[in-house]
Amino acid sequence: MKPFSSYRTSWFYVSFLAFFLFFTGCSSDAELDTLEPQGPSAQSIDSLSNPIFIIAGIVLLLVVGGTIYMWRFRSDHSDEEFPTQIHGNLKLEILWTIIPGLILVGVAVFTLITLAEINSTEDNAMALSVEGETVSWEPEVVVVGQQWWWEYRYYLDGLEGVDLSDARNLPPADIVTSTQMVIPTGEEIELKILSRDVIHSHWIPALNGKKDAVPGRVHPWKIEADEPGVYFGQCTEFCGLSHSRMRMQAVAMEPVDFQNWINQQMQPASNPVSETAKRGQETFSSLCARCHVVNGLNDETSIGADLVSNAAPNLTHFMSRTTYAGGIFNLYEPDGSLDRSQLEAWLRNSPDEKPAYAQGRRGMPNMGLDEKQIDDIVAYLQTLGARPSSEIISATEVE
Amino acid sequence: MTQTMEPSSLETSNGENLHRPLGVYTRPKGGSGWRDWVTTVDHKKIGILYGAAALLFFVIGGIEALLIRLQLATPDGTVLGADTYNQVYTMHGVTMIFLAAMPLAAAFANYLIPLQIGARDVAFPRLNAMSFWVFLAGGIFINLSWLLGGAPDGGWFAYAPNTGIVFSPSHGMDFYALGLQITGIASLVSGINLTVTIFNMRAPGMTLFKMPVFTWMMLVVQLLLVFAMPVIAVALFLLTFSRLFGATFFTPELGGDPLLWQHLFWIFGHPEVYILVLPAFGIISEVIPTFSRKPIFGYPFMVFSGIAIGFMGWGVWAHHMFVSGIGPVSVAAFSLSTMFIAVPTGVKILNWMATMWGGRIKFSAAMLFAIGVVSMFTIGGLSGVTHSVAPADTQQTDTYYIVAHFHYVIFGGIIFGLFSGFYFWWPKIFGHKLSEKMGKLNFWVMLVGFNLTFGPMHILGLQGMSRRIDTYSPGFGFETWNLVVTIGSFIIALSVLIFLINVITSARNARGLPPIGPDPWDARSLEWMTPNPTPVHNFDEIPIVESLDEFWHRKYGSDEDGKVVRVASAEDVCQDGSAEGIHLPSPSYWPLVFAIGLPFIGLGLIYSLWFCVFGGALALMGLYAWVFEPVDDPDVDHHEPQKEDVSD
Repeated sequence: MKPFSSYRTSWFYVSFLAFFLFFTGCSSDAELDTLEPQGPSAQSIDSLSNPIFIIAGIVLLLVVGGTIYMWRFRSDHSDEEFPTQIHGNLKLEILWTIIPGLILVGVAVFTLITLAEINSTEDNAMALSVEGETVSWEPEVVVVGQQWWWEYRYYLDGLEGVDLSDARNLPPADIVTSTQMVIPTGEEIELKILSRDVIHSHWIPALNGKKDAVPGRVHPWKIEADEPGVYFGQCTEFCGLSHSRMRMQAVAMEPVDFQNWINQQMQPASNPVSETAKRGQETFSSLCARCHVVNGLNDETSIGADLVSNAAPNLTHFMSRTTYAGGIFNLYEPDGSLDRSQLEAWLRNSPDEKPAYAQGRRGMPNMGLDEKQIDDIVAYLQTLGARPSSEIISATEVE
Repeated sequence: MTQTMEPSSLETSNGENLHRPLGVYTRPKGGSGWRDWVTTVDHKKIGILYGAAALLFFVIGGIEALLIRLQLATPDGTVLGADTYNQVYTMHGVTMIFLAAMPLAAAFANYLIPLQIGARDVAFPRLNAMSFWVFLAGGIFINLSWLLGGAPDGGWFAYAPNTGIVFSPSHGMDFYALGLQITGIASLVSGINLTVTIFNMRAPGMTLFKMPVFTWMMLVVQLLLVFAMPVIAVALFLLTFSRLFGATFFTPELGGDPLLWQHLFWIFGHPEVYILVLPAFGIISEVIPTFSRKPIFGYPFMVFSGIAIGFMGWGVWAHHMFVSGIGPVSVAAFSLSTMFIAVPTGVKILNWMATMWGGRIKFSAAMLFAIGVVSMFTIGGLSGVTHSVAPADTQQTDTYYIVAHFHYVIFGGIIFGLFSGFYFWWPKIFGHKLSEKMGKLNFWVMLVGFNLTFGPMHILGLQGMSRRIDTYSPGFGFETWNLVVTIGSFIIALSVLIFLINVITSARNARGLPPIGPDPWDARSLEWMTPNPTPVHNFDEIPIVESLDEFWHRKYGSDEDGKVVRVASAEDVCQDGSAEGIHLPSPSYWPLVFAIGLPFIGLGLIYSLWFCVFGGALALMGLYAWVFEPVDDPDVDHHEPQKEDVSD
C-alpha cells in the first residue's frame, strides 16, 4: 500500500478527511441535535436522511474532485494549440439525465414511505386514574403558541366536542402548563398545534420534525419518546422580537410517574400559610392575576389576559416546571435550590430580561414592583406546585 | 411607432424654429459628464449604472451581514439587540436579493444581450433607462426606512400576520411593501424589454439556436420575471392594503388566511431563485468554453435544461412550506417535483465539466470563479436535494442548514458567477483588464472565506440552531462554529475589498494607456467583434451570423485533418469602431423624472397624501412628456445616409 502516492489520491484523502470532519463536527452534546433521534418518528426521519447524506456526499466528492482534476488540463494559452473540438455526446447526455433520475426515483420511494409513516397515527390509549376514576386517555396534547412562549393543554376526556377553532378562547382544560410538555414514554402523543397571534413552529428535534402553528388552523402532528428525559425544543418560525427566546422542553416520564404528575396537576392551588406568602398572594391577586391564572384563586373569575394573545402562562403549578419566561430561564440551580436572583430580576423588570413589546400588549410589562413586593410574590410562587424530581432539574441544565 | 413624425417640424441647427407643438420639448444633447449619465438611454451605460448601483447595495448588504455575524459571534451577543438585529437581517436579505443580485444580473443582461445578438440597443431604450431609475428609486426608498423610524423587521419573506400592523407597528414593513413594489416595476418592465429585444432584434442569421447560452439563460430569466413579478406585486398590494387600509386578507378571525401570503410569496419566490441563478449559469457557460478552448458541451442540452428549469421552477414553491401545514398529499407532490428539478441542474453541471474535460484550460481569474460555481453550487444543489426529502426537511427547515444551503446557491452559484463575469467582460466594458494576479487572490480568499462562513452552518443547522435568532445561549454546542463563521465572513469582506482595490488600481494603471486590443481572451461570441471598450454604436456593421460562436468561427477553421487552424487574426475580424452617423436613440430626461415620482407616492401612502399628489404629478408629468417628446433631436446628425440602418 502506498498512501498519498500521487496528487490525485492525495486529493481523494483530503476530500475524504474534510467529509469525515464535517460529520464528526456535529458534536453529540448539542441538546437540539437533529441527528440523535430519541423517538420513532425522529428515528424514521434519521434512517431516511442518513443514506441520502451519504449519496449526496459521494456525488459531492465526484464533482468537487472532478473540478480539481481539471488542473490536469491546464495551459497558459501561449500557443495556438486546440484540443479536439467536441460539441457533445448524445449517449452521455441521456446517461447523465437518466442515472440521476433513477437515483432520485429511489430517494422518492423511500421519501414517500417515510412521509406516510410520520403522518400516520396509532389508536393507542393509556389507562389513567383521574380523580378516582379510570379513564382511557388517547394521548393528545393541545399545543398553543403565542409571543413568546408555548402553552400545553390536556383534555383528559379526549378532544371530541372540544372546540379548538378559536385559539384565543379555548374551552377550560384539565391541565394547563407552559414551556414544558410532560408526556408518558412509549406512547404516541398526538399534538394539535394552534397559534394565538403569529406563526410559530413547534420543534423538539430528538422526538420529531417541526410543525408550524398557524393562527386560524389546527395542525395535527405527533411525538413520542422512547426513554424518560428532558428533550429540548425551540420555536423555529420567525415570530417577532423574542423569537430566539421562545423555547420549550418535552419532559418524558415513565407512565407511573406521568400518573403522579397528572394527580398533582389536577390539584388547585391551596392558600398559603406563611405571612409573606399571604401578602404575596394579595399582591398577585391585584396585579398579576389580571393576566395569569392560578386555579383555585382566579380561574373562575378570569376573563383572559389583557394581551393580544389573550393568554399568559397558567401558574397553578409554577414550581413543578423547571423553566419559565418562554423556557429561557431555569427555575432551579443545579443543586436543586431555587435560582432566586434570576426570578427576582424577572419580576423586577421583565422587558429588561427578555425583549417584549409590553406597550403593544405583547409580553409581560414592568409591573413596577418594589423589593418587598418581589419578596412576597417569590414566597407565594414557591407555594404553587410541587418540585420536580432532581433528575429533571439536572437534565434541564445546559452545559 | 411614433418615429414617423416629421423631424422637420422641430428646431434645426440653423435656428429655424419650424413649428413646435405644445408639450414637445427638446431632448437632451447627451455629451459628457453627469448630464449624460442621467439622461442616457444607451444600454451599455445603463448596464454600467446598474452594476455600480448594485455593487453599492452589495457593499451595504455585506455590512449588514457583518453586523449579523458580529452579533452571533459569541453566545448572548449584545452588539445589536433583538429589535435592531431583526431589522438588519431583514434588510440583509432584501438588499442582497432585490438590490444587489438581481440588478447585477440586470447589469450583465443590459450590457451584453444587445451585443451578443448583434443589435444596436434594446427594443425600448427609454423604458430601459426607466427600469434602472425606478430600481434605484425603490432601493433608496427602502433604505430610507433606516432614517424614518426603523427598517422592515419581518424578514425578507415577510410572513403574515407577523408583518401586520399589530405585530410590526413601525413603518418598516410599509417601506418594504412599497419599495419592493417599486423595484418590481423595474424588473417587470426590464423583463418585457429584454424579451422583446431578444425575439426581435437579433442580427441576420442568428436563429434562436445560434444564440450564446448566456443570452438564452437571460431570455428564460426575463420570461420568469414577466410572470413572477406580478405575483409578488399582488402579494405586496395585499400586504399594503392590510397595513394601511385595514384590509383583512391574512387575518383568520376575519376570514383571511396567513397561508395565502406564503403561497403568493413563494409562487414568486421560487422562480426568483432561478431568476437569480440562471444569469450566473449563463455567464459561466461563456467563460468555461473560452478558457477551455472548446465549444460548450451539449449546447442544446444546456439550452433545454435551462428552459426546463424555467418551467419546473413554477411547480416547486410549496417546498418552502413543508411544515406550514399544507397536508401530506401536497407535501408529497412538491417533494417529488423538487427532487426532479435537480435533474436538469445536474445536466448543466456535467456539461460544464465535459466542456472542460480534455480542454486546454487557462486558469484565469474568470475561469477560477466559474469553476468555483461548478463545485460550490453543486454543494448547494445537493443540500437542496436533502431538503426535497420532505420528512428530512421537517428537521432541517428554518435551521442554519437551510441558511448554509441557500448561501451555497446564492453566493457559491450567483456571486461567484457574477465575479467570473466581472473579470471576463471588464476589458469589454472598460477597455482594460482587471489585474489577473489580484483576481486570483480575490478568488482564493473568497473561496476560503465563503467555505469558512457557510460550510459550518451545515453543522450548526444539524445541531439544531434555528434561523433568524438574534442570540443563542451557551451550552447547545453552537459556540465554536459560530465564531468560525464570523471569522469566515470577515475573510469574505476582505476578498470583496481586494476586488474593489483591484478595480481602482487596474483603472489607475490603465490610465494614459491605449485601450486593450481586440479579443483579449480569444473569445467566441459576437460582443467581442466590437472594439474594447464598446463604441456607443456597438457594431460598425451588423454582422451576418452563420454559426453559434460566430466570432470564433471567423477566426478559426480546420485543416484537412480536422485540426483547428487560424484563418484570420482577431484584428481582422474585429471591427474598429470607426463608423459614423449611425442612427441611435436620443437621450431623455423623462425616465428619471418618472422614477423620482414613485418614492414620493410611497412616502405619501405612509405619511401624508400630499406627497402622493406631488409624486403622482411628477410621475404623470414624466409620462406625459415622455409620450410627447420629439422622436429625435434634428441636431444629431443621424440622418446621414446609412444603408444598413437596422435599428427600428
